[in-house]
Amino acid sequence: MATCTGCALLCDDIEAIVENNRIKETRNACRRGAARMKGCVNRLVPSIDQKPTDIESSIRKTVEIIKNARSPMLFGLDNSTCEAQAKGIRLAKKLNAVIDDTSSFCQGLLIERILQKKLRTCSLDDIRNKADVLVYWGSDAQDSQPRHLSRFSYFPRGESRQRGYEEDRKAIAIDVRESNTAKICKGHFYRIPLKGDREFILALIEALSGKVPAYDTKKMLELAGILKKAEFGAVFVGIGLTYSIKEDFDILTALAEKLPNFNIMPMVGHYNMRGFNEALFKETGFVNRVKLEPKAVHDNKYSIMESLIRKNTDAIIVVGSDPMISLPRPVLTYLASIPVICIDPCISMTSKIAAVTIPCAATCMESGGTAIRMDGKVISLSKIITSEYMPDEEIMDRLMEAI
Amino acid sequence: MDIGKFLKSPEYEIKITTYRDIFQAEAMERDRFGEEYKMLSAAISISKIDMQKMGLKPKDRVKISNSYGSIIVEAKETKKDEPGGLAFMVNSPWSNSLVSGDTQGKGIPEYKNINAKISLSKEEITTLEKLIAPFIKKPIPF
Repeated sequence: MATCTGCALLCDDIEAIVENNRIKETRNACRRGAARMKGCVNRLVPSIDQKPTDIESSIRKTVEIIKNARSPMLFGLDNSTCEAQAKGIRLAKKLNAVIDDTSSFCQGLLIERILQKKLRTCSLDDIRNKADVLVYWGSDAQDSQPRHLSRFSYFPRGESRQRGYEEDRKAIAIDVRESNTAKICKGHFYRIPLKGDREFILALIEALSGKVPAYDTKKMLELAGILKKAEFGAVFVGIGLTYSIKEDFDILTALAEKLPNFNIMPMVGHYNMRGFNEALFKETGFVNRVKLEPKAVHDNKYSIMESLIRKNTDAIIVVGSDPMISLPRPVLTYLASIPVICIDPCISMTSKIAAVTIPCAATCMESGGTAIRMDGKVISLSKIITSEYMPDEEIMDRLMEAI
Repeated sequence: MDIGKFLKSPEYEIKITTYRDIFQAEAMERDRFGEEYKMLSAAISISKIDMQKMGLKPKDRVKISNSYGSIIVEAKETKKDEPGGLAFMVNSPWSNSLVSGDTQGKGIPEYKNINAKISLSKEEITTLEKLIAPFIKKPIPF
């Protein structure tokens, strides 16, 4: 069985049919996972200033750029193994660099609180076996983590939930739109206005405290009633909720305190974003936005966004990420003006503007290691096909040696 | 003589939020420079009621712009009876063209809370190549 790296569910029940050292077909994977395992159509080639070269020259040029940089940054590593992440953090330390990842503008706020034990959490296996009330909040798992409901939450016949979704489980969606997940939560979809999550949480806290909330009183009391009856509940926090309450994130802790039978689960996209957060947290006490001087200093100014807005970084190594695709357009001009070193298996928007590109192996197809699932469980990734490409772990080693 | 072509299409204020789509994510894994990824990204879903208010039809091309960027995408009608007042785009470089770089020092952009203007357009749908073109140049010599 192979493990899929399409999202942070890290489905480890995938059958990969290999023909001529290529994954021809997959079984059990979702649409995204299957596409990822079959591989992209445009593999990256080594280049300097957009002219093809060899790997050794690309590595030499990278070393030259980062040695000369006054304020280098290492960004990404969410699509790398734990082993590569550990080496990336060591590399950043050696360079006295800033290190950040996509959690900086994704689920970092939430994962930080989970690792600090400010929010109660559990494993996905606990959810499969015990959960009776599931709340998808600002999360469309059906599109972002497509096998979440079938493998772990709503549909399985868990140890204490043998009658699955038919009788034993209730799924609730709270969202600004009727997502594909909300369509499954028939009768339990609560539509909220854009940025309306805070007001909704405050009203829900009131209802859970036995008060009559002014906000949509009937529906709010009905929801509070369902949540209070839960034996083992889970709130799946999606990026929709995280973004909406980012200015007052502790309100989620206040809600969690009113729901003693519930656990908070971060809905993570990139397959090993949690791995990066855990590794950096263990090393520095912070999940992202750190300058390793080498003593760790954490500040919002070290986030990728603020580093680019303030023009604080003068060279950036991007590993397995495509900031040119995921960042707002106003910061791309500066990103494209500094030397970017892009390490990736595929051609990306970032590779198109990079000063240096270094192709790497695609994890779990062409290289193995470990990764951390969205619930914190360590999952093994084994190599399926042979490849001429270096794993990013080895690229980190090579850069370390050369510096 | 078609005098309509000299008239500027009316412009409407629009609020947009973004979401994820499994089909677009699949297309991105395969080929982010491909036609499928473009077609699934360069689109905006608007409720039937808002489409009527703005005189738009499904498959119309629309220009969406604000002070951060401007894109041409295809208008689609939302599948469900959305209440209106909010339009939807799949998160992509097209939607990111309309997102402010100002994070109030917090580092998290307002990806899901976009204010823009929308109008009917006859221009071609913005390609990824066009979006990236201003940034492709020889990097500053080091």
